[in-house]
Amino acid sequence: MQDTITAVINPADEKGNYLEGAELDALNKYFQSGTLRVKAAGQIGDSAASIISETVAKSLLYGDITLPGGNMYPTRRYAACLRDLTYFLRYATYAMLAADASILDERVLNGLRETYGSLGVPIEPTIQAVQTMKEVVTQRVGADAGQEMDVYLDHIISGLS
Amino acid sequence: MSIVAKVIAQSDEANRFLSSAELSKLQEFFGNGTVRISASQKLAANEQKIVDEGSKRFWAQCPNTPSNSGNPQKTALCQRDQGWYIRLVSYCVLAGNSKPLEDIGLEGMRDMYVSLGVPLANLKLAMKCLKEVAMGNLSAEEGALAAPYFDQLIRAF
Repeated sequence: MQDTITAVINPADEKGNYLEGAELDALNKYFQSGTLRVKAAGQIGDSAASIISETVAKSLLYGDITLPGGNMYPTRRYAACLRDLTYFLRYATYAMLAADASILDERVLNGLRETYGSLGVPIEPTIQAVQTMKEVVTQRVGADAGQEMDVYLDHIISGLS
Repeated sequence: MSIVAKVIAQSDEANRFLSSAELSKLQEFFGNGTVRISASQKLAANEQKIVDEGSKRFWAQCPNTPSNSGNPQKTALCQRDQGWYIRLVSYCVLAGNSKPLEDIGLEGMRDMYVSLGVPLANLKLAMKCLKEVAMGNLSAEEGALAAPYFDQLIRAF
Protein backbone atom coordinates (compact mmCIF):
# COMPACT_ATOMS: atom_id res chain seq x y z
CA MET A 1 0.00 0.00 0.00
CA GLN A 2 0.94 3.61 -0.48
CA ASP A 3 0.88 6.08 2.39
CA THR A 4 1.30 9.80 2.48
CA ILE A 5 5.01 9.59 3.40
CA THR A 6 6.11 7.13 0.72
CA ALA A 7 3.93 8.99 -1.76
CA VAL A 8 6.35 11.88 -1.31
CA ILE A 9 9.57 9.87 -1.01
CA ASN A 10 9.19 7.70 -4.11
CA PRO A 11 9.00 10.48 -6.72
CA ALA A 12 11.82 12.37 -4.98
CA ASP A 13 14.00 9.27 -5.20
CA GLU A 14 13.21 8.92 -8.90
CA LYS A 15 14.91 12.27 -9.34
CA GLY A 16 17.63 11.67 -6.76
CA ASN A 17 16.35 14.57 -4.67
CA TYR A 18 16.10 15.18 -0.98
CA LEU A 19 12.65 16.16 0.21
CA GLU A 20 12.38 19.93 0.36
CA GLY A 21 10.00 22.88 0.28
CA ALA A 22 6.43 21.86 -0.45
CA GLU A 23 7.16 18.17 0.16
CA LEU A 24 8.48 18.82 3.64
CA ASP A 25 5.59 21.19 4.31
CA ALA A 26 3.17 18.42 3.40
CA LEU A 27 4.94 15.97 5.70
CA ASN A 28 5.08 18.51 8.48
CA LYS A 29 1.34 19.07 8.18
CA TYR A 30 0.79 15.33 8.28
CA PHE A 31 3.02 14.89 11.34
CA GLN A 32 1.19 17.74 13.09
CA SER A 33 -2.15 16.06 12.44
CA GLY A 34 -0.79 12.74 13.70
CA THR A 35 -2.05 13.04 17.26
CA LEU A 36 -5.58 13.72 16.05
CA ARG A 37 -5.43 10.72 13.73
CA VAL A 38 -3.99 8.33 16.31
CA LYS A 39 -6.54 9.38 18.92
CA ALA A 40 -9.44 8.94 16.51
CA ALA A 41 -8.16 5.55 15.36
CA GLY A 42 -8.05 4.43 18.99
CA GLN A 43 -11.56 5.66 19.70
CA ILE A 44 -12.97 4.05 16.58
CA GLY A 45 -11.19 0.76 17.23
CA ASP A 46 -12.45 0.66 20.80
CA SER A 47 -16.05 1.26 19.85
CA ALA A 48 -16.24 -0.32 16.40
CA ALA A 49 -18.99 -2.79 17.30
CA SER A 50 -21.21 -0.11 18.78
CA ILE A 51 -20.54 2.25 15.86
CA ILE A 52 -21.75 -0.47 13.51
CA SER A 53 -24.84 -1.29 15.63
CA GLU A 54 -25.80 2.36 15.78
CA THR A 55 -25.19 2.82 12.07
CA VAL A 56 -27.46 -0.09 11.23
CA ALA A 57 -30.11 1.05 13.71
CA LYS A 58 -30.19 4.50 12.13
CA SER A 59 -30.07 3.46 8.50
CA LEU A 60 -31.24 -0.06 7.73
CA LEU A 61 -32.81 -1.80 10.69
CA TYR A 62 -36.36 -0.53 10.37
CA GLY A 63 -36.61 -0.75 6.59
CA ASP A 64 -37.88 -3.53 4.33
CA ILE A 65 -34.33 -4.75 3.87
CA THR A 66 -34.41 -6.71 7.16
CA LEU A 67 -37.76 -8.37 6.36
CA PRO A 68 -38.23 -11.69 4.52
CA GLY A 69 -37.28 -11.05 0.91
CA GLY A 70 -34.94 -8.22 1.93
CA ASN A 71 -31.18 -8.36 1.60
CA MET A 72 -30.51 -8.42 5.34
CA TYR A 73 -32.78 -11.46 5.79
CA PRO A 74 -32.09 -14.15 6.98
CA THR A 75 -29.61 -13.78 9.84
CA ARG A 76 -26.73 -15.03 7.71
CA ARG A 77 -27.14 -12.06 5.41
CA TYR A 78 -27.64 -9.66 8.32
CA ALA A 79 -24.30 -10.85 9.71
CA ALA A 80 -22.64 -10.45 6.29
CA CYS A 81 -23.85 -6.87 6.20
CA LEU A 82 -22.40 -6.19 9.66
CA ARG A 83 -19.13 -7.74 8.54
CA ASP A 84 -18.92 -5.59 5.42
CA LEU A 85 -19.74 -2.39 7.29
CA THR A 86 -17.04 -3.27 9.79
CA TYR A 87 -14.58 -3.70 6.90
CA PHE A 88 -15.54 -0.28 5.58
CA LEU A 89 -15.00 1.27 8.98
CA ARG A 90 -11.67 -0.49 9.54
CA TYR A 91 -10.20 0.33 6.14
CA ALA A 92 -11.43 3.92 6.28
CA THR A 93 -9.67 4.17 9.64
CA TYR A 94 -6.44 2.78 8.14
CA ALA A 95 -6.70 5.27 5.27
CA MET A 96 -7.36 8.13 7.69
CA LEU A 97 -4.21 7.20 9.65
CA ALA A 98 -2.16 6.97 6.48
CA ALA A 99 -3.85 10.08 5.05
CA ASP A 100 -3.99 8.15 1.80
CA ALA A 101 -6.91 6.34 0.18
CA SER A 102 -4.91 3.73 -1.70
CA ILE A 103 -5.45 0.99 0.87
CA LEU A 104 -9.20 1.41 0.41
CA ASP A 105 -8.88 1.01 -3.34
CA GLU A 106 -6.60 -2.00 -3.06
CA ARG A 107 -8.35 -3.92 -0.31
CA VAL A 108 -11.97 -2.89 -0.49
CA LEU A 109 -13.15 -1.03 -3.54
CA ASN A 110 -11.38 -2.88 -6.31
CA GLY A 111 -14.12 -5.03 -7.84
CA LEU A 112 -16.55 -4.41 -4.97
CA ARG A 113 -19.33 -3.04 -7.18
CA GLU A 114 -19.08 -6.08 -9.42
CA THR A 115 -19.04 -8.45 -6.44
CA TYR A 116 -22.08 -6.79 -4.92
CA GLY A 117 -23.77 -6.90 -8.33
CA SER A 118 -23.21 -10.62 -8.71
CA LEU A 119 -24.32 -11.30 -5.11
CA GLY A 120 -27.40 -9.11 -5.50
CA VAL A 121 -26.35 -6.75 -2.72
CA PRO A 122 -28.20 -3.47 -3.30
CA ILE A 123 -25.88 -0.47 -3.65
CA GLU A 124 -28.33 2.24 -2.60
CA PRO A 125 -28.90 1.04 1.00
CA THR A 126 -25.18 0.32 1.34
CA ILE A 127 -24.39 3.93 0.48
CA GLN A 128 -27.10 5.08 2.85
CA ALA A 129 -25.47 3.07 5.64
CA VAL A 130 -22.03 4.55 4.95
CA GLN A 131 -23.56 8.04 4.97
CA THR A 132 -25.03 7.30 8.38
CA MET A 133 -21.70 5.85 9.52
CA LYS A 134 -20.15 9.27 8.85
CA GLU A 135 -22.53 10.90 11.34
CA VAL A 136 -22.07 8.19 13.95
CA VAL A 137 -18.28 8.32 13.68
CA THR A 138 -18.23 12.11 13.94
CA GLN A 139 -20.31 11.94 17.12
CA ARG A 140 -17.71 9.60 18.62
CA VAL A 141 -14.49 11.30 17.52
CA GLY A 142 -15.48 14.96 17.25
CA ALA A 143 -15.77 17.33 14.31
CA ASP A 144 -12.08 17.61 13.31
CA ALA A 145 -11.31 13.91 13.22
CA GLY A 146 -14.80 13.30 11.84
CA GLN A 147 -13.96 15.46 8.88
CA GLU A 148 -10.86 13.36 8.21
CA MET A 149 -12.89 10.16 8.39
CA ASP A 150 -15.50 11.69 6.07
CA VAL A 151 -12.85 11.95 3.35
CA TYR A 152 -12.36 8.19 3.31
CA LEU A 153 -15.96 7.17 3.95
CA ASP A 154 -16.90 9.45 1.06
CA HIS A 155 -14.24 7.70 -0.97
CA ILE A 156 -16.06 4.41 -0.32
CA ILE A 157 -19.34 6.01 -1.35
CA SER A 158 -17.93 7.28 -4.62
CA GLY A 159 -16.32 3.90 -5.23
CA LEU A 160 -19.71 2.25 -4.83
CA SER A 161 -21.62 4.79 -6.90
CA MET B 1 7.05 2.06 3.14
CA SER B 2 6.73 4.15 6.28
CA ILE B 3 6.19 3.09 9.87
CA VAL B 4 2.53 4.08 9.40
CA ALA B 5 2.09 1.76 6.43
CA LYS B 6 3.95 -1.00 8.23
CA VAL B 7 1.76 -0.86 11.32
CA ILE B 8 -1.38 -0.75 9.18
CA ALA B 9 -0.25 -3.76 7.14
CA GLN B 10 0.40 -5.62 10.38
CA SER B 11 -3.11 -4.88 11.67
CA ASP B 12 -4.67 -5.70 8.35
CA GLU B 13 -2.90 -9.05 8.29
CA ALA B 14 -4.52 -9.84 11.66
CA ASN B 15 -7.91 -8.48 10.57
CA ARG B 16 -8.16 -5.94 13.36
CA PHE B 17 -8.00 -2.30 14.27
CA LEU B 18 -4.65 -1.02 15.53
CA SER B 19 -3.60 -2.23 18.97
CA SER B 20 -2.85 0.28 21.70
CA ALA B 21 0.86 -0.61 21.44
CA GLU B 22 0.79 0.17 17.72
CA LEU B 23 -1.08 3.40 18.31
CA SER B 24 1.45 4.59 20.88
CA LYS B 25 4.27 3.73 18.49
CA LEU B 26 2.66 5.97 15.89
CA GLN B 27 2.02 8.66 18.48
CA GLU B 28 5.72 8.66 19.29
CA PHE B 29 6.58 8.86 15.59
CA PHE B 30 4.27 11.82 14.98
CA GLY B 31 5.41 13.44 18.23
CA ASN B 32 8.97 13.97 17.02
CA GLY B 33 8.00 14.94 13.48
CA THR B 34 9.62 18.34 13.79
CA VAL B 35 12.94 16.74 14.72
CA ARG B 36 12.64 14.32 11.81
CA ILE B 37 12.16 17.20 9.43
CA SER B 38 15.07 19.24 10.78
CA ALA B 39 17.35 16.18 10.73
CA SER B 40 16.53 15.50 7.09
CA GLN B 41 17.07 19.16 6.19
CA LYS B 42 20.49 19.16 7.84
CA LEU B 43 21.53 15.96 6.08
CA ALA B 44 20.49 17.52 2.78
CA ALA B 45 22.24 20.82 3.42
CA ASN B 46 25.45 19.16 4.59
CA GLU B 47 25.65 16.23 2.22
CA GLN B 48 28.68 17.50 0.35
CA LYS B 49 30.47 18.43 3.52
CA ILE B 50 29.74 15.07 5.12
CA VAL B 51 31.00 13.22 2.07
CA ASP B 52 34.16 15.32 1.78
CA GLU B 53 35.06 15.14 5.44
CA GLY B 54 34.04 11.46 5.59
CA SER B 55 36.33 10.66 2.65
CA LYS B 56 39.28 12.38 4.35
CA ARG B 57 38.77 10.33 7.48
CA PHE B 58 38.27 7.18 5.42
CA TRP B 59 41.41 7.65 3.31
CA ALA B 60 43.45 8.37 6.42
CA GLN B 61 42.57 4.91 7.69
CA CYS B 62 42.40 3.13 4.35
CA PRO B 63 44.56 4.84 1.73
CA ASN B 64 44.60 1.93 -0.71
CA THR B 65 41.05 2.06 -2.07
CA PRO B 66 39.45 2.82 -5.47
CA SER B 67 38.18 6.26 -4.44
CA ASN B 68 41.74 7.23 -3.45
CA SER B 69 43.47 5.64 -6.44
CA GLY B 70 44.15 8.92 -8.23
CA ASN B 71 41.42 8.31 -10.81
CA PRO B 72 39.09 11.29 -10.40
CA GLN B 73 36.24 9.48 -12.15
CA LYS B 74 36.36 6.68 -9.59
CA THR B 75 36.56 9.15 -6.72
CA ALA B 76 33.55 11.03 -8.06
CA LEU B 77 31.47 7.85 -8.48
CA CYS B 78 32.29 6.58 -5.01
CA GLN B 79 31.48 9.89 -3.42
CA ARG B 80 28.29 10.17 -5.41
CA ASP B 81 27.17 6.81 -4.02
CA GLN B 82 28.03 7.93 -0.51
CA GLY B 83 25.89 11.02 -1.01
CA TRP B 84 23.06 8.81 -2.17
CA TYR B 85 23.27 6.77 1.01
CA ILE B 86 22.99 9.94 3.08
CA ARG B 87 19.87 10.80 1.09
CA LEU B 88 18.40 7.36 1.75
CA VAL B 89 19.07 7.77 5.47
CA SER B 90 17.18 11.08 5.31
CA TYR B 91 14.21 9.28 3.72
CA CYS B 92 14.29 6.69 6.53
CA VAL B 93 14.33 9.38 9.20
CA LEU B 94 11.20 10.90 7.66
CA ALA B 95 9.50 7.53 7.14
CA GLY B 96 10.40 6.23 10.61
CA ASN B 97 11.33 3.01 8.91
CA SER B 98 14.33 1.43 7.19
CA LYS B 99 12.40 0.29 4.12
CA PRO B 100 13.55 3.16 1.86
CA LEU B 101 17.19 2.25 2.57
CA GLU B 102 16.56 -1.46 2.09
CA ASP B 103 14.47 -1.18 -1.07
CA ILE B 104 16.52 1.49 -2.80
CA GLY B 105 20.05 0.95 -1.57
CA LEU B 106 20.62 -2.42 0.04
CA GLU B 107 18.84 -4.97 -2.09
CA GLY B 108 21.43 -6.18 -4.59
CA MET B 109 24.05 -3.78 -3.21
CA ARG B 110 26.64 -6.50 -2.48
CA ASP B 111 26.37 -7.99 -5.95
CA MET B 112 26.78 -4.57 -7.48
CA TYR B 113 29.93 -3.59 -5.59
CA VAL B 114 31.48 -7.05 -5.99
CA SER B 115 30.94 -6.76 -9.72
CA LEU B 116 32.44 -3.25 -9.67
CA GLY B 117 35.46 -4.57 -7.79
CA VAL B 118 34.93 -2.26 -4.82
CA PRO B 119 35.95 -4.03 -1.60
CA LEU B 120 32.98 -4.23 0.77
CA ALA B 121 35.22 -3.99 3.84
CA ASN B 122 36.49 -0.62 2.60
CA LEU B 123 32.97 0.60 2.00
CA LYS B 124 32.00 -0.44 5.49
CA LEU B 125 34.75 1.75 6.87
CA ALA B 126 33.74 4.59 4.55
CA MET B 127 30.14 4.37 5.85
CA LYS B 128 31.37 4.44 9.44
CA CYS B 129 33.25 7.65 8.65
CA LEU B 130 30.13 9.14 7.02
CA LYS B 131 28.14 8.33 10.12
CA GLU B 132 30.70 9.99 12.41
CA VAL B 133 30.74 13.18 10.39
CA ALA B 134 26.97 13.22 9.95
CA MET B 135 26.42 12.85 13.70
CA GLY B 136 28.60 15.89 14.25
CA ASN B 137 26.24 17.89 12.06
CA LEU B 138 23.08 16.87 13.91
CA SER B 139 21.75 17.67 17.36
CA ALA B 140 21.65 14.81 19.86
CA GLU B 141 17.92 14.35 19.25
CA GLU B 142 18.28 14.39 15.47
CA GLY B 143 21.30 12.10 15.68
CA ALA B 144 19.37 9.56 17.73
CA LEU B 145 16.78 9.35 14.96
CA ALA B 146 19.34 8.97 12.16
CA ALA B 147 21.92 6.73 13.85
CA PRO B 148 19.99 3.42 13.57
CA TYR B 149 19.81 3.77 9.78
CA PHE B 150 23.52 4.55 9.47
CA ASP B 151 24.17 1.52 11.70
CA GLN B 152 22.03 -0.67 9.50
CA LEU B 153 23.92 0.61 6.49
CA ILE B 154 27.27 -0.19 8.12
CA ARG B 155 26.09 -3.66 9.09
CA ALA B 156 24.93 -4.33 5.54
CA PHE B 157 28.47 -3.86 4.25
